[in-house]
Amino acid sequence: MTTATAAQPATQPAARSPFRRGLRRFLQNKLALFGVVTIVLFLLFCFLGPLLHPTDQVHTDLKSTMLPPGTPGHPLGTDDVGYDVLGRLMIGGQVSILIGLAAGILATVIGTLWGAIAGYVGGTVDAVMMRVVDAGIAIPATFLLLILSAIMRPSVPLMIVVIGLVSWLVPARLVRAESISLKSREYVLAIRAMGGTHGRAVVKHIVPNTVGTIVVNATFQVADAILLVAYVSFLGMGLQKPATDWGAMLTGGMTYTYAGAWWLIFPAGLCIVLTVCAFNSIGDGLRDFFDVKGRDR
Amino acid sequence: MRTTVMRRLLAPIGIAAAAVLVVTGCTAQGDEASSGKDSVSYALPAGTGPNWILPISSPDTMATHNSAIKATMWPRLFEYNGTSGTMEWDQKASAAKEYEFSDDNLSVTITLADLDWSDGEPVSSRDVEFWYNLVRFNAEKTGGYSAGLIPDNITNFEIVDEKTFTLTFSQVYNEEFLLANQLSLVYPMPQHAWDKTSADGEIGDFDRDEASAVQVFDYLFSEAKDMKTYATNELWQTVSGPYVVKSWSDSGQVELTANTKYTGEDTPSIPNVTFLPFTSADAEMNVVRSGEVDYGYVTSAQLTNEAQFTDLGYRVEPWAGWSITYMPYNFANPEMGPIFDQLYIRQALQHAVDQETISDVIWHGAATPDYGPVPQTQDSAYLSKEQKDNPYPFDLDAAAKLLADHGWTAGSGGTLECTAPGTGADQCGAGIEAGKKLEIVVTTQNGSQETDNMMSEIQSSLGKIGVAMTIDSKPLDSVLTEAQSCKTEGSTTCSWQLVFFGTAGSWYFPAYPTGERVFAKDTKWNAGQYDNPEAEELITQMTASTDSEISQKYSALLAQDLPVMWMPNPVYQVSVIKDGLDVGHQDPGASFFPQRWSWSE
Repeated sequence: MTTATAAQPATQPAARSPFRRGLRRFLQNKLALFGVVTIVLFLLFCFLGPLLHPTDQVHTDLKSTMLPPGTPGHPLGTDDVGYDVLGRLMIGGQVSILIGLAAGILATVIGTLWGAIAGYVGGTVDAVMMRVVDAGIAIPATFLLLILSAIMRPSVPLMIVVIGLVSWLVPARLVRAESISLKSREYVLAIRAMGGTHGRAVVKHIVPNTVGTIVVNATFQVADAILLVAYVSFLGMGLQKPATDWGAMLTGGMTYTYAGAWWLIFPAGLCIVLTVCAFNSIGDGLRDFFDVKGRDR
Repeated sequence: MRTTVMRRLLAPIGIAAAAVLVVTGCTAQGDEASSGKDSVSYALPAGTGPNWILPISSPDTMATHNSAIKATMWPRLFEYNGTSGTMEWDQKASAAKEYEFSDDNLSVTITLADLDWSDGEPVSSRDVEFWYNLVRFNAEKTGGYSAGLIPDNITNFEIVDEKTFTLTFSQVYNEEFLLANQLSLVYPMPQHAWDKTSADGEIGDFDRDEASAVQVFDYLFSEAKDMKTYATNELWQTVSGPYVVKSWSDSGQVELTANTKYTGEDTPSIPNVTFLPFTSADAEMNVVRSGEVDYGYVTSAQLTNEAQFTDLGYRVEPWAGWSITYMPYNFANPEMGPIFDQLYIRQALQHAVDQETISDVIWHGAATPDYGPVPQTQDSAYLSKEQKDNPYPFDLDAAAKLLADHGWTAGSGGTLECTAPGTGADQCGAGIEAGKKLEIVVTTQNGSQETDNMMSEIQSSLGKIGVAMTIDSKPLDSVLTEAQSCKTEGSTTCSWQLVFFGTAGSWYFPAYPTGERVFAKDTKWNAGQYDNPEAEELITQMTASTDSEISQKYSALLAQDLPVMWMPNPVYQVSVIKDGLDVGHQDPGASFFPQRWSWSE
């Protein structure tokens, strides 16, 4: 005798949302995870660290200069005017990360709008707008920053604006290329047919559909901005003391290369390297996240 | 895409690797050059090369090393330097042997030393007259000419005999000023060899007639413009000093060799001297590290680890300059002028500058405290006790009390505000309104870590007494331009408050350190427009008064009246000298005397 059993529906894996698939790909990228963990640790170090290790980063102390690491009260020693190096890494990191993030975001916003409009409108407008980009790219950003630093008194807001204004050119090109491709899609043509404005088409359809490119590029922009700040400070044209950033700390320490004061060089250098690598790794992971054509690993 | 990402990751790592290479890779030591006992090499300041041989300079060839090299071949009439440890007349290196002023102090009779030219002719009074005639008839073409001063102020040149002559001046001058700052510009030149108007022309008394003197001058200048011929042109082989030029390259490398016919007392010990030009200080320091220069220099930051040079067989000797360093207050600033006008405020700010500690810690000993208008790097008769004793020693309590006693109290944020406006003894002072904050901006030259750190230290000290200081770093040229902005005709901006341009010293003096070009009311470099009639009178008297103590009165007044904020005075350079090479006391006047150098046996 056979017992007929009702046929059970085969167990189908639940359909994953694009977000979950992207997240899975992101989490499979170990470098990206390293990047996230590193940035989180640096944020904690720079913004919460001063609460655990409070130091005077305003007044110099010429009686306590060049103390080596391990000196009581100064785990990473002191610099040539008596500032605690560990505390200085924290406030220097605040400035570097703040400028990097803000300038990166500013560059991304400007570049995205510029590129989207140029690509969407096309024709003469596109030609003119992209020649502006070409001209901007021809001017070395570091050179421009050095000139501006010589003319104006460097400050955090000024450096954010200036770095943002010289960094939007690459995202503009990327977004423009995407925009040219998107503007002929049916849903963009449909909104125009239904009487939607060009602005609505750009803001509601073009920009959202380039978000992958934008976000990935934004992380690289942040990393590049941090490096640019370091370059300018390394050349002695950065923020005025007592403010500092990692680049300024590095250039200050280089003077004492032959004096064996490694604690003035390596910690700041390591912070720059790790932070920039971390942002780049996150960018790599985000590329996987948004890559709809990519396969799960 | 991966490749791109990896490239991005490699970029910062590359920077780190480069930094590590700098840290670890550049310590390789070259073979030590074998310095012969009959030769010595000297590194010239970076970016400069000797480019003039004629004792009379053109305006663009007045660099110190040009003068120093020329003086080894044609000694000055009066050589003033600090090689003895005191800034004074160095008779041994001079063409003059003795002098005597007339009773009315209008004339001076000078006797020349027993020097001969290398062709056997004696150095005579006529050779001094030759210099005088050429310069007076071509004054505008000469470097360092100042209308009214030498040669304009000589009213009569009288030759007494071959070795003696008398100069009469248009007015009575201070003796030190006349000898150290005026007659030190005179070089006896070989009239019997140079008084001609062309290469193949006859020798004559052409210098005594204005028209032909101009021709002689132009001929000598044209010959002096051809650096390639310095070693071969017969003109430059007629010398009276301890050396004669052996070779002179377009790049500025100069070789001198001992003048075998020298008859003076300053006989050279090392017969061959080579002056090496460098395009940058880094290039020079690399040569030092390779051991290929006997007498060079390094940056003051290197003093933190002298062993890197002592291990190479050098000793490190900071070379103090005959200079002062300061930050002018801008008394003409519409906003801050009334504040800087108050002596008590200048006193309080000066009390907050810890010059001793800054010199020792930040400058690593390569700077000396400076409390007034007379250089203190060298002992001299010009320095007053008041200046030497520092009228305003580092004392933050005294600084705070001065401000509190005049109506300044801490506002929100800790910055002092004027709460007692008025002109009374316990009030802020004229022109200072209630609520005015004590906030100053210092415009300073960038590019020097020592200067940056010094400004940070002063900013920190001032912050402790409630004075908010903002540092505005700019390139030196921008700072110097800004310092003149209030005095430039037609300029509408006068916003600077204090300026600092003294990373290598703010002002270098001739031997007699007068202040007419720095602190006199209308002079260009009184950038802050300091105006004190009493100081003005003393400055004038410095050049004219026969009072031997006039310079000390000037020194005392300006040390106490604070026309500027006195700052630590950095050294001229940090020298590195090969062991066994004795160079004596380095001249604060930034000159050098290779005839005094010697190798120990």
